[in-house]
Amino acid sequence: MGEMRITLQSIKMSFRTRLQYRVDTLVATLAVFIRESANIIAIYLALLKFDRINGWNVNEMLFLYSMLFLTYAFVVSLFADLRQFSDTIREGRFDRLLVRPRGLLLQLILNNADLIATAGHGTLGILLFVISAGRVGIHWNAATILYYIAAIISGILIQGGMFIIFSSLCFYFVETNSIRSIFYWNMRKFAGYPISIYHKVIQVVLIYVVPFAFVNYFPAQYLLRKADMANYNEVYIYIAPVVGVVVYAAAYLFWRVSVRRYYSTGN
Amino acid sequence: MRAYVEFAVKKFEDKMAYKLDFFMGIVNTAMMIVVYLCIYKALYGDAAYVDGISYRMVATNFVITLGLSHAFDYDEMFLEHKIHDGSITGEFLKPVSFMLRLLAENIGEGAFKIIFHFIPALLFTLLYTSLCPPKSALSLIAMFGSVIFGYLILWLISFIIQTWSFWLFSVWGIITIKNVFVNILAGTLLPLWFMPAALRKIISYTPFESIYFTPVRIYLGELDGAEILSGLAVQIIWIVVLGIIANVFWKKGVKKLVVQGG
Amino acid sequence: MENMIMVQDIKKYYKVAKREKGMAASLRYLFNRKYEIKKAVDDVSFSIKRGEIVGFIGPNGAGKSTTIKILSGILYPDAGDVNIKGYIPYKQRKQYVKNIGVVFGQKSQLNWDLPLIESFELMKFIYKIPQEKYEKNLKQFSELLDMEDFINQPVRQLSLGQRMRGDIVAALLHSPEIVFLDEPTIGLDVVAKEKIREFIRYINAKEKTTIIFTTHDMQDIEKVCDRLIIIDKGKKIYDGSIEQIKNKYANSKTIEILLENDEKEIQTFDLNVAPMNTVMENLFAQKNIKDISICEPEIDGIIRDIYEGRVVLDDPTAEGN
Repeated sequence: MGEMRITLQSIKMSFRTRLQYRVDTLVATLAVFIRESANIIAIYLALLKFDRINGWNVNEMLFLYSMLFLTYAFVVSLFADLRQFSDTIREGRFDRLLVRPRGLLLQLILNNADLIATAGHGTLGILLFVISAGRVGIHWNAATILYYIAAIISGILIQGGMFIIFSSLCFYFVETNSIRSIFYWNMRKFAGYPISIYHKVIQVVLIYVVPFAFVNYFPAQYLLRKADMANYNEVYIYIAPVVGVVVYAAAYLFWRVSVRRYYSTGN
Repeated sequence: MRAYVEFAVKKFEDKMAYKLDFFMGIVNTAMMIVVYLCIYKALYGDAAYVDGISYRMVATNFVITLGLSHAFDYDEMFLEHKIHDGSITGEFLKPVSFMLRLLAENIGEGAFKIIFHFIPALLFTLLYTSLCPPKSALSLIAMFGSVIFGYLILWLISFIIQTWSFWLFSVWGIITIKNVFVNILAGTLLPLWFMPAALRKIISYTPFESIYFTPVRIYLGELDGAEILSGLAVQIIWIVVLGIIANVFWKKGVKKLVVQGG
Repeated sequence: MENMIMVQDIKKYYKVAKREKGMAASLRYLFNRKYEIKKAVDDVSFSIKRGEIVGFIGPNGAGKSTTIKILSGILYPDAGDVNIKGYIPYKQRKQYVKNIGVVFGQKSQLNWDLPLIESFELMKFIYKIPQEKYEKNLKQFSELLDMEDFINQPVRQLSLGQRMRGDIVAALLHSPEIVFLDEPTIGLDVVAKEKIREFIRYINAKEKTTIIFTTHDMQDIEKVCDRLIIIDKGKKIYDGSIEQIKNKYANSKTIEILLENDEKEIQTFDLNVAPMNTVMENLFAQKNIKDISICEPEIDGIIRDIYEGRVVLDDPTAEGN
């Protein structure tokens, strides 16, 4: 109950902050939207020339990408303070959370919402979904809709869990930005393509290490059934909606263990 | 001159302080190369040539472009921060040109990334795949000149936009949009060979083509003999034009700051 | 009166990487770096009773902030025990911090872009403060600190002094029994400082709040504190009243002389060298004096002497604290 009140107050504060800089908010939202569109434009232009990539046509590619944007819109509104957690520590903001009588992760999640990124990614995600969802031959019925929603929630939890894990690393190492940039930001970029096109090592990373494959590739395969699914076990498709819970739980445990280190080293 | 070399060296040394970033930078670059080559390979499928361009040429283009874009990876918000926190006025008191000092520092940082991130990653990539050799020794030498010009063009575009922070609340959004333009129009995301003809035509009238694509074409021999000279000449024209624009914005910005006190 | 805070032999050491200059050294640093141990807090003990106000001073890097962090549960000590109101701060964090309020003078917890009142509202939910108590505290605090005028203004438009008042209120809305103030007067003008001092004294008198604060301003200490703890190089070098330190360690007197021709002279005498009556005899013999006044030593000067090693304090453990 108390958590609800904090959440509402935090959201209200984020909104009111952004309202103070209307023009800047608009420009920044547009910038995020355009920046993220760049990859889409590149894919579109490439497929004008090449038609397909490993059997996937342009609409199927857009559908694959839309799941990345839709899930990330939620991730960035919930886990914004964990995105640059090393800064949170360095600027002493984590100390502040420690002297408040609330769970640490809870405070971090409730604290702040990056509404600009949420709007930018969310708009693009919805746009791509609207463009592609009717053109890729998905039969939308109760089962597929339910699966899709479950997959989106799972995708949010997977990425939220990864944010927590990367943030936990800040308790062990001073510089973690480069690890995060490789294993989160780059991998996310790679997940925009069907993973079957990649070198084996990168496929393994995308399935087992930073499981972006369960955010969009396997869920999309349930709905699209492309030929390259033959390379993988069918079971991946069916576990995709629950992988998020497992990743998030593991991330939470890792955080609990790691945060203890902060007490002994400080920042 | 000595002072500017110092600035560059200092920046280079600063970068070395971060051990993990250093190793991760290599891993990152190698990974980018492998992944994008996978993507191009998948696009090519069984085709040997598309529009007369082989997969190997595309791979070579990508690796060179990536190397150059590495050199150009620095904090483009630097000037804005300096203006916002007021420390910019302190810079005017120093007996060096701020613009050249910034260029020197950015080059220092770029040199670090080329030497310690790109070259090791390139050697690793060569174990994994083969790239096109340069057309001739002349092509290789001309390419190095062209690379420097390309860097200056990109740096000037960035600097011009950075100077807008004298007038604007934040230039983050505009820089982000500029980078999208560079990524698409300079061919970082998709080689310019494969752009629709109309778009390709438009790009040829912008400085973007001169950034990465001219050096690549010189290296591959697509530009040869007199074409090399005209390619370089176009680059120099852009440097002069952008240099003049950058100077105008810089002078006006400084004047505004001095007269109105920010 | 009962002990509120008990600190026994706490130690906190850090490992700091050494960085050398030059290209070769930077390369070496990349692959093989050397560390040295910094003793931030080295065997410090003290206890503080309910309702005491204790000033914590020491040069920069002396270990003040580290000590405050240990007391507020942000850091474990490497050795030693801390017991505050029956809690071990860093072990029972959530329960313990309900009882404390912390102000980090250099790091505001207020939302920069929004009116003060919004940050206070957030505190209400975070600390689960009942509405009635929240309103009563807010009303009382804003009267005492003259905040009515600016409580609805965005924080970024406030002066440093106004912002600091806001930060202090944000930390006290839940009526904590113990308050840690880490440099609450840093960078403020005289008027703002005085406001904050008055407020601290008031809260202490009315609520019997136990207060520890760190500062570089001796006026803060003189005007607010009953007791002074000096830390230097991680060790406690003094623990006692201000009067005591003045009496014990002031061996110099400053004398202001007004001469017959209305000229002013200021002279300082070391009483260990010559007692006061010798000083006076000499003065009267040498000059035509219209008026004379003897000034008490400024605590500022004494503390500076202590930091700079001109005055050596007794072993604090011998003082029977």
